[in-house]
Amino acid sequence: MSTDRRAARRRLSAAACAVIAALSMSVGAFAQEIPRLAPPGLAAPPAGLPNVRLISLGGTISGTATDRLNLTNYGAPRLSPEDWIAALPELALVANVTPEDLREPEGKTSKPISLHWMKVARRLQELGADASVDGIVVTHGTNVLAETAYFMNLVVNIKKPVVFVGSQRPWTGISGDGPLNLYNAVRVAATKESAGKGVLQAMNQNIHAARDVTKTSAYRVETFQGVDLGVLGVADPDIVKFFTEPTRRHTFNSEFNVSSLPASLPDVEVLYAYSDAPGYLLDAMVERGVKGIVIDGTGAGALTEGFTEAAKRAQTKGVVIVVTARTFGGRVQDTPRRREANIVPGDNLPPEKARLLLQLALTKTTDLAEITRIFNEY
Amino acid sequence: MLQRLRLVPVLLAFTLLAPLAAFASGARPLPTIKMFTTGGTIQSKGAHRLKLSDYSDGRVTPDELLADVPEIGKIAKVEVVEISNKGSGSVGAKEHLALAKQLTAELARPDVAGAVVTHGTSALEETAFFLQLTVKSDKPVVVVGSMRPFTAISRDGPLNLYNAVRTALAPEAKGKGVLVVLNDTIHSARFVTKNHTYHVETFVAREIGPLGYTDSDRVVFYRAPLTRHTANSEFDVSKLDSLPQVDIVYGYQEASPGSIDGLVKSGAQGLVLASGAGTYRNALERAKAKGVVIVASDRKGAGRVTHHKDGPDKGAITAGDLNPQKARILLRLALTKTHDPLEIQRMFDEY
Repeated sequence: MSTDRRAARRRLSAAACAVIAALSMSVGAFAQEIPRLAPPGLAAPPAGLPNVRLISLGGTISGTATDRLNLTNYGAPRLSPEDWIAALPELALVANVTPEDLREPEGKTSKPISLHWMKVARRLQELGADASVDGIVVTHGTNVLAETAYFMNLVVNIKKPVVFVGSQRPWTGISGDGPLNLYNAVRVAATKESAGKGVLQAMNQNIHAARDVTKTSAYRVETFQGVDLGVLGVADPDIVKFFTEPTRRHTFNSEFNVSSLPASLPDVEVLYAYSDAPGYLLDAMVERGVKGIVIDGTGAGALTEGFTEAAKRAQTKGVVIVVTARTFGGRVQDTPRRREANIVPGDNLPPEKARLLLQLALTKTTDLAEITRIFNEY
Repeated sequence: MLQRLRLVPVLLAFTLLAPLAAFASGARPLPTIKMFTTGGTIQSKGAHRLKLSDYSDGRVTPDELLADVPEIGKIAKVEVVEISNKGSGSVGAKEHLALAKQLTAELARPDVAGAVVTHGTSALEETAFFLQLTVKSDKPVVVVGSMRPFTAISRDGPLNLYNAVRTALAPEAKGKGVLVVLNDTIHSARFVTKNHTYHVETFVAREIGPLGYTDSDRVVFYRAPLTRHTANSEFDVSKLDSLPQVDIVYGYQEASPGSIDGLVKSGAQGLVLASGAGTYRNALERAKAKGVVIVASDRKGAGRVTHHKDGPDKGAITAGDLNPQKARILLRLALTKTHDPLEIQRMFDEY
């Protein structure tokens, strides 16, 4: 590099530093944990970067507090996606990021939430067909992030990367994980190898498949884990690297699509099994008119006597029973005894995800063999 | 014990006759599985059934091993070849090359559905990764062992062996590279490592997890590996009968650089660092000056060694997430083709 160019680059870096400092000031307390140092090259981002749409569905990552030691009781004001982009000028090194706010207005959330999910799913599908978009990042609260991501994984026909991200600490929290998670999510969405692998979840420098990721800890930053399965890849400091890809059906290869779903999904509820769990819990659900029940069984998917008897009564009314395992890991198997009892094995899905798959399956069929096939394939 | 041994001929006869009976009754003939035995705990006997360590009171023959699980005869016709009968720490280039060549040849037979290799567990991952890089076939190759000897109470060998055969027969196992099956779990040879000295759940891929499971109802897959392997590998050992010397140097505080100089003197063409050490710098420069290729791996057990900021030629060749013992296998094969650091880094990125 010539002396002239080096000097010019220094001037540009200095200018970038000033810009970042100004931006950091302009968002006030936001992102106070991001050091005001510009990486070299920030002033002149490379040309021809991928276009990434940054969709906000809110979450802790958009939460703020006045005290940076407030890591649990945070809330308003909520950041807009524009605030994130302003606080992270480094995003310009890896992608052209366009913000889009798909949050529901405060206090006016859809009931059931799946109505909002369907709206988001339709939008994702639209962006999938939009030639000006190369990848999509969706922010989300972490508590049910895995459910929303799995729903999208099943009903959005898309090959482009769709990356769900959140944070465990609010944007203003000391040692907040949000900034790096968001930066890495954009990197993953901007990576060609992320396409065609289904909906992804990227936090804490890991990349998970929506189907297999679960929140495992209330507050730790390493909360998202694959219980039976591991990461698909990593967002390391040097590169985004994929090791494996999921083999279960998803996104472009799914038989479900948001455009052909009914206005609302069939009612399916979840029951937790425990010693002496009484059958009347199940009877009450049936009385309410549910179409399916997911029982999170003990051990390898066992039911209590009360549940077993109530399940038989439910089945005579056409209610489909799926059993998962409360053991957290492991498959509920397709055994002769279970077949005899007309119970659909929930594979290794957690009950909240088995519920979504059963809701979708019931939009197509009530045939138990067909629903079992669906649980084997998705 | 004696009673068991008397049963063997009966069980063997059953194993041999079962497919014939099926054939005679008009059912489809059973698929053929080629099985190679190398030794290890799965072929070890202890003096009594509570002997769960220090078992070296006898060896199990390949026929004995197979006759021990007559259920296999109901799902496959198994042809056994003995490669060796020793612990995995004594397995090396000779066995690796013999296995790679014979697996490639046998899997080319249209009537062979897949292959099983039985192996000691301590260094199982090294042999499995070597086969992942050198077997020219997309048919399933399953490496299996056991944590408890043949004679032990609650031994894991029989179910492991049965599940290995089931996996080798599974259509979904095709094209997924070499698989390692123990304890109901299917791992990729690329990612698996031994994680515990004695427990049956010893094999793990710490961050990446398994590819699937061998549950009672079916063999189930959730993942396919994305690294290059088997039929798609560029490494060809068909004409080789030895491999370059590559050794591992462990990094720790105040490590003596003498190990590096000594290994270079003994003929090492490549060295893998299981983490570096401040004291290694000059010795590594001396080694490089003699044409020895250095690859940086790590002793931590999880995570990638990221690319060097100055590149593989001016900086260092990095092993990514390959542990030192697997980085050694890959570097060995790389050195059969090239000494160019850029090329070797590409191989570490792709395999």
